[in-house]
Amino acid sequence: MALLALLVWPAERSSAQALTVDVVGEVLRIHAPGFSFLKGDPLTRLRDGRSVRVELAALVLPGPGKPAAAAARRVFALSYDLWEERFAVTVLDARSQSVSHLALAAVEAWCVEQLVVPLSAIGALGRDAPFWIRLEYNVLDGDAGSGSPDPGYTLQGLIDLLSRRRKTDSSSHALEAGPFRTPARGPASKR
Amino acid sequence: MGSLLAVGEGMRTLGLLLSLLVTGTQAATDQKAVVPEGTVIAVAAVTGFDIDRLSPGLREDIRNLAGTPLAQARLDALAERIEAERPRYVAAVRAVMDPDGQARVFFVVGRQEVPERDDNINARYIVEQADIRGVPDEELSQALRDDLDAMVGQRLDSGAADRLQQRIEQELPRYDVSRRMQRGSQVGRIKLVYEARKKELPQWLRFDSLRTNALFHSEQGWGSFLDLGIGNRTIRFTPMVAIDNADDLVEEYSGVGLRFETRQLGTRRLGASFEWSWFDQDWRPATLSALALTPDIPPAYDTRSTITPLLKFAVTPELSVAAGVSISELEPLIPATGSQMANAAVASVDFDRSWKDGSEPTHRVTASFGVRAGSRDLESDLAYTRYLGQGAYRFDAGRHHVEATGMAGGITGHAPLFERFTLGDSRTLRGWDKYDIAPAGADRVVHSSVEYRYTGIGLFLDVGSVWDAETERHVRVSTGVGFYAGPAFFVVGFPVNTDELRAIFTMGLRIPGVRIQW
Repeated sequence: MALLALLVWPAERSSAQALTVDVVGEVLRIHAPGFSFLKGDPLTRLRDGRSVRVELAALVLPGPGKPAAAAARRVFALSYDLWEERFAVTVLDARSQSVSHLALAAVEAWCVEQLVVPLSAIGALGRDAPFWIRLEYNVLDGDAGSGSPDPGYTLQGLIDLLSRRRKTDSSSHALEAGPFRTPARGPASKR
Repeated sequence: MGSLLAVGEGMRTLGLLLSLLVTGTQAATDQKAVVPEGTVIAVAAVTGFDIDRLSPGLREDIRNLAGTPLAQARLDALAERIEAERPRYVAAVRAVMDPDGQARVFFVVGRQEVPERDDNINARYIVEQADIRGVPDEELSQALRDDLDAMVGQRLDSGAADRLQQRIEQELPRYDVSRRMQRGSQVGRIKLVYEARKKELPQWLRFDSLRTNALFHSEQGWGSFLDLGIGNRTIRFTPMVAIDNADDLVEEYSGVGLRFETRQLGTRRLGASFEWSWFDQDWRPATLSALALTPDIPPAYDTRSTITPLLKFAVTPELSVAAGVSISELEPLIPATGSQMANAAVASVDFDRSWKDGSEPTHRVTASFGVRAGSRDLESDLAYTRYLGQGAYRFDAGRHHVEATGMAGGITGHAPLFERFTLGDSRTLRGWDKYDIAPAGADRVVHSSVEYRYTGIGLFLDVGSVWDAETERHVRVSTGVGFYAGPAFFVVGFPVNTDELRAIFTMGLRIPGVRIQW
């Protein structure tokens, strides 16, 4: 029973996060207020006054867990103002959009909202076809742990292994939701 | 002077940018002239920058170019992504046609120095103090102190702070260096703090291998051995439980044990271990029958209690020696007879070395030679000498794994049954049953095995012989296939040089070490 609970728990936690989409002009915008990617070491690094670069990706999937039919990726440089105690973020591309004086949840939400998928890319799935959205993040400046030369498992590692949670498992780095459908204009509906 | 330096820096930056842009333009031109669209890409690489510092997705996309038709737009998009991920670098694409008609694609990446661009919001604040903590002053060079002082009074430059951290790390290789910023004494001012912590030196001695497993052998049944390492990087307590374990000895044993180990006694060259165990034995009818026919072999026993204190000395990080005694009391199967002592001086030499070829293939070589000598001088009822040499080589390259192992050993005198050699279990002669080959064990053994694995599927060949000195030696061969998924495995082995066609399978969990660390 306990093992069953361990196996089910991560999936329930993910599905508790909300993900919605809407159509603005010719693009699909994504909103995921509960999607948090600034936590743990990266957040500590920010609060120590250093910057952190994060790659966010929104993948449009024809079905749950299927290969992406379209994707939007952007890299963000985030920092934390030591005196104003607010976050600032810059999109690292040619346009270099920036925004500052945001609280933690607001800066995360702003980053997600910069991921736009052209409707033309979604159209390749077929008119009025349902689709799923998968949000992924990757902290580029994280202190990557080196592989331990000591083979074996810690108890936590064993629990992770038996509960199918891997280091690279995206369950803690991704959020997937759907199905959605694209209306001609206006908010996309979730079936 | 500062202005002159800034101008110099700017010129150098401009030169680099221009050269890269020219390279890029030239590359594009070259490519249009020499490498047509659609040419199959033989290899794609990043030069001037460590590809491992790019995101996994980007790395994969670059590597996935190999084998695909060249498309300039796709290459340009990847170069843009490199620049987006690494804003202080510029990337240009260069494609070269090989004589065989395929293209090689290079992303030429170079650092740009743009001091006015800093993504850190704190770059608008003035550094009022910059210092290094955790290092005695005498270990800091004057040049390093000067560079720290030079940051004071300037606006924070994250790039300069990064470079200074790299310099500190180079100058203080025995320290781990981290950096943080704090509010200063006035609004708009910050303190830049580098914190250095002494690195923990790697231990030279290794703990004994943990070998938790739960196995099923089609001829020998279920058995398991559980051990749990509890400790830190210097000391470890290991409680052990065996339940019907018949995988490594003639006997099937159940019981408990506890091992204490330290890898450092004043120096990391010197360590010690102390192990106590108590096991209750079950004997197969085949073993008892063989013993009845061979009175020279010491009798079976009901329980075995052992204590083993050892001292260990590391000659180098790879080579160590150990010496001590093993004191065993064997309670007889028939209560009327007295117990037997099997006390032995033990000594071993161990070698363990791993190395890498570039970034991917890894090699590991392990070898050991051990001697156990039961002697009347140690109040032992059984006098014997047992020696065993073992070696293994493992090669890992991505999904390909090769492992070759070998061992040879011998016993002289009258060794107790737990010292006698066996083959035909979950690791040796996997197509044979040890109770068919040598039900009471033997005093000579030679075995070698080679296994190739591709991801979770392995093919193996085992060759070995286990025999008594005065009997005929018979070499046995087995081969088979194994399926591996994490700690779980399923192996089917077939004896090769026999008239009887049969399969032996083993399955279960084999976990190299379960630990609790504090």
